[in-house]
Amino acid sequence: MSLLRASSEAIENEVKIEQLEDGANIEHGPALVRYAESAVRQDSDLPESRSHLLGVAGLQALVEAAATVSAFEGLNRLADVTGIQLDSGLADESADFRSELGIDAYAGAASTKSNGFAQRAGDVIGIFR
Amino acid sequence: MALIEYDSEMDINPMFASTHADVWQRLADCGTWWTGPQRVAAMSEVRAAFDCALCSERLENLSPSMIQGTHDFVSGLSEEAVDLVHRLTTDPGRLTQEWANATIGALGEERYVELAIIVCTQYVIDSFARCLGLSLAELPSPGDGIPSQVRPTDVGDVGAWVSQTVDKALANVSRAASLVPDTEVLWRDIVQCHYSRGPEFSELVWNRALSRPQVELLASTVSSLNECFY
Repeated sequence: MSLLRASSEAIENEVKIEQLEDGANIEHGPALVRYAESAVRQDSDLPESRSHLLGVAGLQALVEAAATVSAFEGLNRLADVTGIQLDSGLADESADFRSELGIDAYAGAASTKSNGFAQRAGDVIGIFR
Repeated sequence: MALIEYDSEMDINPMFASTHADVWQRLADCGTWWTGPQRVAAMSEVRAAFDCALCSERLENLSPSMIQGTHDFVSGLSEEAVDLVHRLTTDPGRLTQEWANATIGALGEERYVELAIIVCTQYVIDSFARCLGLSLAELPSPGDGIPSQVRPTDVGDVGAWVSQTVDKALANVSRAASLVPDTEVLWRDIVQCHYSRGPEFSELVWNRALSRPQVELLASTVSSLNECFY
């Protein structure tokens, strides 16, 4: 979520992270979200959402989407099973929206001791300090 | 335009095909703490977890600990190893430190981490295939050898459930599996291929078929669905 906001700001796109399920005001956002939801839930809707994304964004975009969805399926699992804490920069970067979006209620929140202080990092490296 | 015109990753993007083929076979090599046959047995359990009645029943309940029972296992791995593989595969968002401590107590910390890397790496490759409507790859043939059981010296308690590299170079997730570096490299290879791609990770503007905000929208959606705090 932090990198979604930061990368959107970098191209001066007004992202709406509170509207994630509707695509967050990202180009092809609704099609991307629908595809990710179908893939993670392994819904019967997956072939249809895949065809829809293919139609609106093209084959290479679809392949990148599959690569990203699958990568985060793995990344989420590795983070959960090792009980890592949020980096202090990431805790600060996300402090202003985690509670509002319900992220602090996730089971994995118990692994992180500090809630952070709402402040923004200057770059990607700063987010993960 | 239907994707069923494509038979494999090779038809779509050779980078994914070559990385997947390489990593897939190395998953079956003898590890630092598990043998090749044991690692392939774990891979078979990842596939079996999707049809496991206990896993399905637990997913339907408020807490997985409310439902006791035996997993529908397909290998000779220990009960604790099967439980780790099945729960990590089907219900990762509800793992707890209490459960992790018990599992680590039974398996050993290094075996716990190596098994987790196997599951997570395989999950990425299998998930990619499912995402594109491709067939899942056949499990690789196990390699020979005896695990060296060498623990790195630069690891310690950094506040996670398992020991990790003490020096923090980048994100905590990038050192999550550093307790077993010879297997961790498989994980790094697959994440580099799928997402981070070297120095590009530090750039907020990407020149890919999807923009970085589009990629991060997908990442946020998946993490939200999996209820992953990190």
